[in-house]
Amino acid sequence: MSSKYAGYMGKFLDIDLSTGKIGEYDVTDSLREMYLGSKGLATRILYDNTKKGVDPLGPDNVLIANTGPLVGSGAPCTSRFNISTKSPLTGGVLSSNCGGNFGMYLKRAGFDGVIIRGKAEKPTWIHIDDGKVELRDAAELWGLNTEETQEKLPKKTGKIVIGPAGENLVRYACIISQERAAGRGGAGAVMGSKNVKAVTAAGKQKVPVANPEKFQADVKKWIKILQGHPSTGEMMPAYGTAAFVNRCNITNTLPTHNFKRGNFEDADAISGETLADTLLVSNFGCPSCVIKCGRRVMVGEKNVKGPEFETLGLLGPNIENADLSKICEWNYEADLMGVDTISLGNTLGFAMELTEKGLLDSPLKFGRTEGITELIDDIAYRRGLGADLAEGVKRMSEKYGGKDFAMHAKGMEFASYEPRGAVGHGLGYAIANRGGCHIAGGYMIYFEANGPLTMDPLTTHAKPQLTALMQILLDSLSDAGSCQFTAFTAVPKQALALNPSGFLYRIAAKALEGFGPSISLMLRYPKLLAFVPPLELLQHPKAITDLTGMKMTFGKYIEVGQRTYIIERLFNFREGITGEQDTLPRRSLEELQTSDPRSRVPLAKMLPVYYRVRGLDRCGKPTTATLEKLDVRG
Amino acid sequence: MPTVKFFATLRRAAGASEIETSAKTVKELLETLERDYDGKLDKYIKISTVLVNGKNVVHMKGKRTRLKPDDVVSIFPPLGGG
Repeated sequence: MSSKYAGYMGKFLDIDLSTGKIGEYDVTDSLREMYLGSKGLATRILYDNTKKGVDPLGPDNVLIANTGPLVGSGAPCTSRFNISTKSPLTGGVLSSNCGGNFGMYLKRAGFDGVIIRGKAEKPTWIHIDDGKVELRDAAELWGLNTEETQEKLPKKTGKIVIGPAGENLVRYACIISQERAAGRGGAGAVMGSKNVKAVTAAGKQKVPVANPEKFQADVKKWIKILQGHPSTGEMMPAYGTAAFVNRCNITNTLPTHNFKRGNFEDADAISGETLADTLLVSNFGCPSCVIKCGRRVMVGEKNVKGPEFETLGLLGPNIENADLSKICEWNYEADLMGVDTISLGNTLGFAMELTEKGLLDSPLKFGRTEGITELIDDIAYRRGLGADLAEGVKRMSEKYGGKDFAMHAKGMEFASYEPRGAVGHGLGYAIANRGGCHIAGGYMIYFEANGPLTMDPLTTHAKPQLTALMQILLDSLSDAGSCQFTAFTAVPKQALALNPSGFLYRIAAKALEGFGPSISLMLRYPKLLAFVPPLELLQHPKAITDLTGMKMTFGKYIEVGQRTYIIERLFNFREGITGEQDTLPRRSLEELQTSDPRSRVPLAKMLPVYYRVRGLDRCGKPTTATLEKLDVRG
Repeated sequence: MPTVKFFATLRRAAGASEIETSAKTVKELLETLERDYDGKLDKYIKISTVLVNGKNVVHMKGKRTRLKPDDVVSIFPPLGGG
């Protein structure tokens, strides 16, 4: 089925591995208008194609890999794909937005996405080539790590693969594309449960453009904005996400000793600055990227991908480790095995604290690095202690105790930000549909502690409203097929020139706290925002409009993000994940981080406001009025 | 004396990760840095966030924030995120 809109290839593959049937899934233009693509559209498809209570690792779960309209269009930082499924880690909705080259190649092969159902009888490699699909025998690939697997697959193809962790159904196994990971929530285990080792895509089809002249001008301007901005043009290329280590440490938001503290004495030793001065070989980016935040480092004699901020924080301070070369080694090993480094660092930290408290008999100890590399392999192969760790923090706490300091939300381990140093970020962990995730939670840390314009990190004023707005904007951006890092031009270069320590910023920081009612109003009546913002202010809506021919007003853009959260929410409620699970462990809610009596997450104060802003009832469920307003059916 | 910590590109431009200062206020510190480094830090400092003991000075008295001997001043150019 084709589309009247450009930007889409107009076809969505439907593969049933149990029957071998290959067809097309019908995606209507109405669905494209409502959800755009990627996460939003995939969640709608996930909801419609799974039954209540489906086993995440059973044949009736589906795995969706798809793209947004901007992917492959030539717009900067749009070599992205989304993976959606029911998570074996949380039992709820899972979406993971990843770089690498698969998304771009999938569109070149003629498809916007693929839904994979059932289970293959034997290890399988799905090859998609210019509109044709083959299910190939992957017996020779099974058991290989992610690097070996990709080396054996044909060159000039987009690839997604799993490692031994995915094959062995580790609950936080990831999917790898080139050196990028669709990391969180165990999508790799779902792929493994279907006996799929790899999916490759190839072709030479081009993404249609509705208004080539205008779109080319947009792309040119957009690249200039990204390259000219101090964050995306200078800092991210030079230090990558690792630059955040020191900033988080200074602002008490760097998880240390299993999130017991927010700062680490030796943080500088594992920082972006130290990485740049010691192990860094070069930076790199995904295809079409102009930011190039990726790090290349030496591990032994090998030039490999270096760690991101999240990995540095969780395999560093969170386990009291200040050895940067060890983090690089573990990061590489985890990628080879196909293990999510965020859940890994959390699970190690939790197991260390369990051991410290005498609840677990293990050789693990904060600050001890011996044996971790081997343990990563043991997790991937579910051997010995590794078999317990492969289950993640929530299940370990159910087996060994320690729920008060089991740092997860809805079963997904926290990202590398200590929420008691930025309470809005804590709210984000609690209400994110996929669990303790920084991006799905709205990334409030940027406006609380670590961006150029920050509010009081411990106040609750306007935090629920801003969290909702940030989530919506990040979801819409993701649905369009863009890298989240393109959002770092949100505070424009011109505004930075006004001096972030100066008078105007003081006024703006205070004013933000009073901004809650205005945001509520905006989110209540998005249709009033019937204009396409100028590219200089917000790049995505204008680029989507000129690419697709779909007039993407700011209001419609907001509605796309609103629908994405609501359909995720409906999925979770159907699976029994209700408002009761919009919570955090006791350590975040009750233990004070510092002597400041406000240094804990006052969730009970923020949650009802957040629910109201989002159009949810007191139990956190979308109201009938919200569903009708957004035209989302359950 | 208060300690001043430089980060990211600012650290590279300053050629040091930290220095001590005799400045009594943030304003005085920023002026001293401008002078002592012959303007080569200006490009970064004018777009940087200044924190005193981990607290953004916009939540204190801005550039008029007074510095005490044990204070740690951290200066960050705009970073991005993770």
